[in-house]
Amino acid sequence: MTGGLVFSPTAPLDEASQDEQDLVARLVAADPAAVGEVYDQHHRAVRAFASRLVGDAAAAEDLVHEVFVTLPRAMRGYRFESSLRTFLISIAVNHARHHVRSATRRRAAMSRLALEPEGNSADPEQVQRRKELASLLTKALDTLPLEQRVTFVLCEVEERTSREVSEITGVPEGTVRTRLHHAKKKLREELSPRGLE
Amino acid sequence: MTDDLLKAATRALHEETADDGADGRFTRARVMASLHQGKVKRRTRLAFILPVAACLAAGTAFGAATGRLPAMLHAISEVVSYGRKPAEPKRSSPQPAPAQKPAPAAKQVPPPLAETAVAPTPAAAQAKPSGAKAEPALSAAKPTPAPSSSAAFQDADGDLYRLAHEAHFDAHDYGRALAGWDAYLRSAPNGRFATEARYNRAICLLRLGRDSEARLALEPFASGRMGYRQTEARQLLDELSR
Repeated sequence: MTGGLVFSPTAPLDEASQDEQDLVARLVAADPAAVGEVYDQHHRAVRAFASRLVGDAAAAEDLVHEVFVTLPRAMRGYRFESSLRTFLISIAVNHARHHVRSATRRRAAMSRLALEPEGNSADPEQVQRRKELASLLTKALDTLPLEQRVTFVLCEVEERTSREVSEITGVPEGTVRTRLHHAKKKLREELSPRGLE
Repeated sequence: MTDDLLKAATRALHEETADDGADGRFTRARVMASLHQGKVKRRTRLAFILPVAACLAAGTAFGAATGRLPAMLHAISEVVSYGRKPAEPKRSSPQPAPAQKPAPAAKQVPPPLAETAVAPTPAAAQAKPSGAKAEPALSAAKPTPAPSSSAAFQDADGDLYRLAHEAHFDAHDYGRALAGWDAYLRSAPNGRFATEARYNRAICLLRLGRDSEARLALEPFASGRMGYRQTEARQLLDELSR
């Protein structure tokens, strides 16, 4: 994983609107109202990505919190080369390591104690099956290195293009494809012995 | 088969996390509280560093203007070396005595180490007012302004408290309320309403059927350590142990 936010110099956004530039200036000045505004616009996307990446609602919330708290400092490196949402996701990627590790540890402990929390649902069978599959994949993701995990979640679960993923992770598209290939291979191996009915 | 399974699992994870229904208000309030906290910390740091820097600059300027700067520097170095001596008490070959006489100023300046070590930290100064009056939880919904340096920070914490209170007492959504009380206590562990929040958290655990956790959370109240709702807590514990 890259150390900081590295954006490949792909085509910059044509013209950042005046509003957006103002917003960025306010963010750099750590204006809480501006952070609130960005939060309201993008928190769902960031939360969805965080949940998919860490596989744990509480850890995902912590990651979302960290993304928006560190946003003003991170904005100093923002050059309008990608959308704000993509930039937020890249911040999440940069801060994910610790959260993924703690969520993985928690999951391992929970499964040892067989305390996996269960939700209640109106449509039990289908939802239960979906939950099982999602949880199976999350556990398989725990075995991947963070770079491959991030790439798989961004490419396959979030269905982003390799170019977008390259912007977010700051590595060339070729590297993205290689990481994805290795991730899928490992996940297939990981899922095969566990296969569901 | 595995390919299908991987695809199905990927789709399941996508759908499972597509919209978890969380409106993110708690996290938003946490973000705001953290930003305010950061601002307050920066200000406090500045308020501490500026006077120290000003004193240093003024002292240096005074020394330079009166020609006492070398003597002052010498005195400071004497003090520093005097302060260091106890750290290495058992040397086989003790340091030779300084060749020149210490400047008279050196004798007048006491070693500053002990003073700085016991200086109260801002956190200690802001410690929770002990024995907070036991107020009913409902009345705490409308917090009155407390004597504090940062009204904005109070507001951010107040928001967290209000959200948790609303989820608990208006919506009766105890899962959300529990998350809310946790968020408030994380943000303001020594806040004005921390005691009430802890009690309400215990009630949420009870409502959610997490008896053992509830018991642990009620213990300090029942024992009277918290000075709040002792009788109720004791009754609840009695009920739980039946």
